[in-house]
Amino acid sequence: MSEPVAVAAASSPRVPLIRVAGVTKKFGGVQALRGVNLEVLPGEVHALLGENGAGKSTLIKILSGVHTYDEGSIEIAGQKVAFESPARSREAGVAVVYQDLSLVESLSVGANLMLGREPRTRLGFVRQRELMAQVGAFLREHNIPLDPRVPVDSLPFAYRQMTEICKALMGDVRVLILDEPTSALTGGEEQILFDAIRTVTARGVGVIYVTHRLNEVFRISQRVTVFRDGANAGHFATADTDMKQLVAAIVGPRHAAMQARQETSTGASAQTVQSKAAQTAEPNTLDAPVLALSNVSNARLHGVNFAVRKGEVHGLAGLIGSGRTEILQTIFGLLPIDAGSIELDGQPLAARRPGDAIQRGIALVPEDRHLQGLVLDHSIERNLTLPRLPQFSRGGWLRAQAAAQQARTAMKQLSVKAPNASTHVKFLSGGNQQKVVFAKWNHPRPKVLLLDEPTVGVDVGAREEIYGVVHDAASAGTGVVVVSSDLDELLRLCDRISIVVDGSIVRTVERAQLRTAEELHHLIQLPRPTEELAT
Amino acid sequence: MNESVSPMPAEQQAAQRHGRAWRIARRLLQGDRPYMLYIAFAILLVVFSFASPWFLSIDNFLNIGRQTALVSIIAIGMTFVIIARQIDLSVGSALALSGMSAALAMSHISDTWIVGAIAGIGTGAIVGAINGFVTTRLNIPSFLVTLGTLSAARGLALMVTTTRPEIITNDHFIAIFGEGDIAGVPVPILWTLLAVIGGILLLHYSVFGRQIYAAGGNPTAALYSGINIRRVTTLAFVLTGVLAGLAALVLSARSHAARPDVVQGMELDVIASVTLGGCSLFGGRGFILGTLLGSLIIGTLNNGLVLLGVSSSLQLVIKGVIIVAAVAFTRK
Repeated sequence: MSEPVAVAAASSPRVPLIRVAGVTKKFGGVQALRGVNLEVLPGEVHALLGENGAGKSTLIKILSGVHTYDEGSIEIAGQKVAFESPARSREAGVAVVYQDLSLVESLSVGANLMLGREPRTRLGFVRQRELMAQVGAFLREHNIPLDPRVPVDSLPFAYRQMTEICKALMGDVRVLILDEPTSALTGGEEQILFDAIRTVTARGVGVIYVTHRLNEVFRISQRVTVFRDGANAGHFATADTDMKQLVAAIVGPRHAAMQARQETSTGASAQTVQSKAAQTAEPNTLDAPVLALSNVSNARLHGVNFAVRKGEVHGLAGLIGSGRTEILQTIFGLLPIDAGSIELDGQPLAARRPGDAIQRGIALVPEDRHLQGLVLDHSIERNLTLPRLPQFSRGGWLRAQAAAQQARTAMKQLSVKAPNASTHVKFLSGGNQQKVVFAKWNHPRPKVLLLDEPTVGVDVGAREEIYGVVHDAASAGTGVVVVSSDLDELLRLCDRISIVVDGSIVRTVERAQLRTAEELHHLIQLPRPTEELAT
Repeated sequence: MNESVSPMPAEQQAAQRHGRAWRIARRLLQGDRPYMLYIAFAILLVVFSFASPWFLSIDNFLNIGRQTALVSIIAIGMTFVIIARQIDLSVGSALALSGMSAALAMSHISDTWIVGAIAGIGTGAIVGAINGFVTTRLNIPSFLVTLGTLSAARGLALMVTTTRPEIITNDHFIAIFGEGDIAGVPVPILWTLLAVIGGILLLHYSVFGRQIYAAGGNPTAALYSGINIRRVTTLAFVLTGVLAGLAALVLSARSHAARPDVVQGMELDVIASVTLGGCSLFGGRGFILGTLLGSLIIGTLNNGLVLLGVSSSLQLVIKGVIIVAAVAFTRK
């Protein structure tokens, strides 16, 4: 079991372990990859960067055999390989560690690493001692600080991830792909993971490291490849580049052009949104805030301060795991507050559960509409009326007519495309489903509307309509808080944007102060923006 | 899947033509495959009518109604519990304990029917409340919690009289819950009808009903929509306990005594009726008339098989097969 990297170490360091040349991939009418190139040398950590939708995940899925590619070629150690199934890709020596872990948590580290290939007696019983000895030898050899006897569910997250990496390394691995491995790790845990990666590369394995966190690139990688819109947008030796250069490559020159395009294509609503940038600062400044957080702390937040004015759209920008979603959940009563206070219209808001928050006029469009936003198996009408049942009832009895009437009105106002209000939500497209989630809060207007990634998985047309809905809500006086990883979206919607880092807000900027997504990107990437900007 | 979308426009046209009556019918007869249920019931009636000369008579149907009353009444409550994605295995034991409590209250506190009724139904409610609280507050799966109360409540019922039955002599109590009739319809059937009507109003016409469907259909989405899932779920268990108490009154009044060892294994019949009636064990789906029909199908099956002289052992086998088949059909 412990000959995994012998082949890789033996081959000459100048021959790339893996060479991707001109690979293209089309999904239906969408060109996901337009001919991308990537080379990984033995013992190298090669960072792969790009925005969501740039083509990183598509390439990873091709390399892991989940998708096939249309044109181009992929070579492993100089040999052309067809990646037609996950098993074939694994045979060729490519192993992928995904974000969501695939361990059996109740079993020990050893049992997980040998799952499906346990040493057995002739009668089929597991040779427990031999198994642990084998795993122990493997871990010692790779210098990995794990005890094979410990159950996985008692391990901190970084060690689980390390177990996952070890699992990927059991066997003949030449290329290890890590997909955003640090998104759920704390600082100390990160170091443990980086040490494990160095141990692996010292043995000649090549690592493709996908991340959104640019500072990691400088800490761990030797070379960087940037994808943008399904094509190569840059290739750097880490030592010869800086963050500014990387951000420019990731964001690209399209930003200004795109804004112009949106303005012409979507007409009125886009123009009114656009004009926000110009009018910001002055008109509402004197208004008392509709929502104010002061020093709000709990398990995930460390002293959050910000205020939203009536009719303001306030963005929360930050990395995945920075605490943006938790801020919304805390306001909505899903997470308890340990210290600090939240005020709504100057009155303390002590929401112990979402029901309290809803009653006070707060609405949340959650991140995952399938899991959190909708009962997929129920009709549009049932979903729409759910958060405001008291509104459609008298003495505990449902006013069916009123509910049906409201459902029809809301469907019309948000132009939800469906045969009628009794259509089950699961049959709608992503965009229409998201409109249903918005419609849950359509009438009466909430005082505060919290949006968590409001346009994920929504097509372009519906996206414009949703922007219109957000804008209408703000014009009617609702205070809107938007969490989004799409920086262009934040720039389009928001009057002000707060940067969230490690569970607190480090800085709030007026929209007018930001010219491009690139500038915003810089703010998110730098943990202490004021300091770094000075340099 | 397909059948719930494609017929929509046709159904809507029909709704416009037939108006209110059609809307009510749709609401009460909802469910993904309701037609199969009615067809199954009809086939059963036809088969037994031809097979046995005694089957097709008013007396026999009243007999079926009386025999299924206990299961039907409790199954109404179980419908709420199962739609909320929970299960209650303790209903048989809750019935036994409630019966003992009613009989003892009448012999020791005051020999009036109202005291017996309050004691019986109150005891059922308490068992339900315990099920609900432990399930939702301690986050223990209701399967385990109610497995516990199944055993504990039965033990208590046996303890209170050291396993002896408690005789009931109150004539009002016996008439109201067991042996009386109105216009020839025995009271157990009338109590069943009352439970069915109450269940329909609560599940299909009240806010509580909507909340139950949401809590079972997608608990996370329900939470994000401000539904107090703990409270709603607990209430479903309490409702089931109350109906187990009512069933206890009916049974003990009919047999003029409360016995601590009655209806062992009844939870199987109740759960079978509910699942056969179109409730999904995965939550979020089901309807009251379906449950009633499920209970009647099982009752008719029992009755018919007896008339045909099928052994009680084989009846058990047939019932078991039906439960599994029903789940296979309601599964998404």
